[in-house]
Amino acid sequence: MNKRVEKTTDWLDERLGIAKGARSSLNKIFPDHWSFMLGEIALYSFIVLLFTGVFLSLFYVPSSQQIIYHGSYAPLRGQSVSEAYASTLHISFSVRAGLVMRQMHHWAANIFIAAIVVHLCRVFFTGSFRKPREINWIIGSILLILAIVNGFIGYSLPDDLISGTGIRIAFSIVESVPFVGSYLAFFLFGGNYPGTSIIPRFYTIHVLLVPALIVVLLAAHLGIMYHQKHTQYPAPKRTNKNVVGTVLWPTYALEAGGFFFITAAVIAALGGLVQINPIWLYGPYIPYKVSYAVQPDWYMGWLDGALRLMPSWEIVGFGHMIPNAFFPAVLLPGLTFTALSLWPFIEKKITKDDQIHNICDRPRDNPWRTSLGVGILTFYIVLFFASSTDVLANTFNTSLNLVLWTFRILLIALPPVAGYVTYMLTKETAGLDDAGQRRAPVIITRSEDGEYNSVVVAEEPSLRPSAIFELQEVSEEKAYRRAAQGDEDDRELVGAPESSSVDDNGGVHREDFHSQRSGGSGIFRVPRNVPGGGGLFGGRDSRRQRRRDTQE
Amino acid sequence: MGGALRLFVLASLVLKVVAGFYWSCVVVRFGRVMNASLGGLRFSRAKAFGVSALLSSVVGSAGMLAFGGGTSAAQSNYQQSSVKEPKSVTFTQQNRPPIVYRKPPSSLIPEGRTLFTENCSTCHGVDAAGSSRAPNLQGLGAATIDFWVYTGRMPLADPTVQAIQKPRKFSRQQTLAIAAYVSSLAPGGPGIPSVNVAGANISQGESLFSTNCAACHTITGVGDALANNVYAPSLYGVGATQIAEAMRTGPGNMPRFGNGTLSNAQVADVVKYVLYLQKPQDPGGLSLGHVGPVTEGFVGILIGLGGLMLFGYWVGGRASR
Repeated sequence: MNKRVEKTTDWLDERLGIAKGARSSLNKIFPDHWSFMLGEIALYSFIVLLFTGVFLSLFYVPSSQQIIYHGSYAPLRGQSVSEAYASTLHISFSVRAGLVMRQMHHWAANIFIAAIVVHLCRVFFTGSFRKPREINWIIGSILLILAIVNGFIGYSLPDDLISGTGIRIAFSIVESVPFVGSYLAFFLFGGNYPGTSIIPRFYTIHVLLVPALIVVLLAAHLGIMYHQKHTQYPAPKRTNKNVVGTVLWPTYALEAGGFFFITAAVIAALGGLVQINPIWLYGPYIPYKVSYAVQPDWYMGWLDGALRLMPSWEIVGFGHMIPNAFFPAVLLPGLTFTALSLWPFIEKKITKDDQIHNICDRPRDNPWRTSLGVGILTFYIVLFFASSTDVLANTFNTSLNLVLWTFRILLIALPPVAGYVTYMLTKETAGLDDAGQRRAPVIITRSEDGEYNSVVVAEEPSLRPSAIFELQEVSEEKAYRRAAQGDEDDRELVGAPESSSVDDNGGVHREDFHSQRSGGSGIFRVPRNVPGGGGLFGGRDSRRQRRRDTQE
Repeated sequence: MGGALRLFVLASLVLKVVAGFYWSCVVVRFGRVMNASLGGLRFSRAKAFGVSALLSSVVGSAGMLAFGGGTSAAQSNYQQSSVKEPKSVTFTQQNRPPIVYRKPPSSLIPEGRTLFTENCSTCHGVDAAGSSRAPNLQGLGAATIDFWVYTGRMPLADPTVQAIQKPRKFSRQQTLAIAAYVSSLAPGGPGIPSVNVAGANISQGESLFSTNCAACHTITGVGDALANNVYAPSLYGVGATQIAEAMRTGPGNMPRFGNGTLSNAQVADVVKYVLYLQKPQDPGGLSLGHVGPVTEGFVGILIGLGGLMLFGYWVGGRASR
């Protein structure tokens, strides 16, 4: 088995000379932190989107042609529906695995955009967009816009009553652009609303144009990240000039591959077990029909909320009345995305900071950015919740107007409050290395005189994860670098001391560490919850560790 | 066909679980080999990979099983109606008229008078002619009385807000008695409708419902809040008679759909569709209350992304110190 692999790779190497590049790629170091995996969720759900989308495109008919429905869903039989709607019903009821694929596609889209937003928040609050990563931040912002646009268009493709209402609103929003609105809208829709062009056009945009753009930009996004190397959190032995983490092969590849399966599993579970967008209950879209309680998918919620909260002012400018919808639905997103994409430059203008930053800020260490971000985020969260005013009023048996006015007030009042509270909290915790971490366990003893004494349990440096991780990866990396004529300028080295012992961690030698590991049960587990450490599932490990300690 | 398919799905489920387990064993084994040879692999990664392979196969199979029931219908071209109609929505034309309006039996009038005097006359007056607190009921007909009383809206809980549906206070006979008494005071108004649901056309009903009712009650019939404390109630759990009564009499803020707007046959069609909506064909798993994207968004963000973030927290590293 191994021989055959070796032969194949040799064959390839002799012809393409891949070994050198492959070796250095396989040894690529990625800093390991759970918050760096948020972007991976987006990447993997995008892959799920591609696969399920291809399946759906085999059966979907992008046509507004009206036909008489004769399919298997009885309550609509005999009605005049568009071919797009009929084919979506066909996918849902008659195509084997069609419904689960449709639902997976829809859930994956919801998760895709949610993951992008959370990833964006991580990058923003850790300051990872600073020099040299401004270009990647802009690419990321464009990816977010593309994802939202494609989500909305995909949501409209089934041509059901609710998504049709969404297209109707979109048409009015385009129309509301001063001076050129009606031309733009007619250009986009190929004539007056609804017309017969919009579904085929949306289909081309949805399956060809935007996905191609996303793939290209995604490749650029990842390529630049690979080239510039990932940022890392501040920690001992991590500097602006190195990267401390795990090697791509096998560790990081296994982790990422496993995480892809987990993402696919969660999406498949939602797709199979939780219904989404039951278009058969919504019926076909006919322009004179409308359903109450219509919301867009969550990522358009903030725009819907802005439309709902906008007071009915008639604003006159340049001698013309500017349509009301222009302000919440064109101006707001325009400003939002412009400010978002240009944020690295805006911040640079304020801070005058032109240094290269490869170390993330801890959010608490940069109070003004964190509190500003929280304030702005709160603004959009209020808008997002405002898109469900009617559902909230109905659920809590209160007046729709009361809910609406509450949101209008919250929209203005809540962001400053949230920002201020964040500012105070970050000020309080800034610069503390162990803020928010679990305290080391102590043993409290009481003497005969009634005096209490607390002793920290096992303040053993050898049990610190930092003492264990970096050592184990040093050895491989150093061996490789010695073999590959040791390019000392490469800053992608593992943050390791020159000697094989770590003196500042209490003189723990690598040999000690190895013997301790092989003395275990054979399955080595890094003790996550060593005294002073944190961790969600760490309790068991720490008990195991203690047990091992007592046995020895 | 159905049996064979179910067996197939079951067999694939078993296979997938076995394959997933085998795969995870391989991966765990692989992890151990790597662990030994490289001496540096964090074993938890290999385990995460193995567990995820197992998880994806189990969960994916569960999903397959969940939809399996919904799509066991034969592959059919949606242009041709080759699929048998489900029993619940069979179109059987019967000779009965779509709706018969009956006056409640006049033998109940004395009982009705007593009940009305005891429970209603404080506000509506002894002769149901109304007062400063309540409207005149004379000439409204039996259907109005039956709807308000039998859905529990009358007697009113709070006269300042929209009448809410409560547990009904009167039995069927008592309700009919009150209706008989009030409709005996003055002529006019529809009698109590009896709907021929079996003879109605559900597809027509859907079309009429989405045109006339969905704008307030929502397309799935769950109801929603309208402006200024007014709301369109949920249509779940409402009987055929009450639906027809509400359409014909227009209680509260609801518009009245008279004979000129909807024919008896059309009212029966709508009734049939509303009854269907209460227990619709609902494949695809948990229905999330048919509220639409609001609940879907919460599930997508909290369970979908939130769950994945927890997994990421488990697989990924923590801050080292």
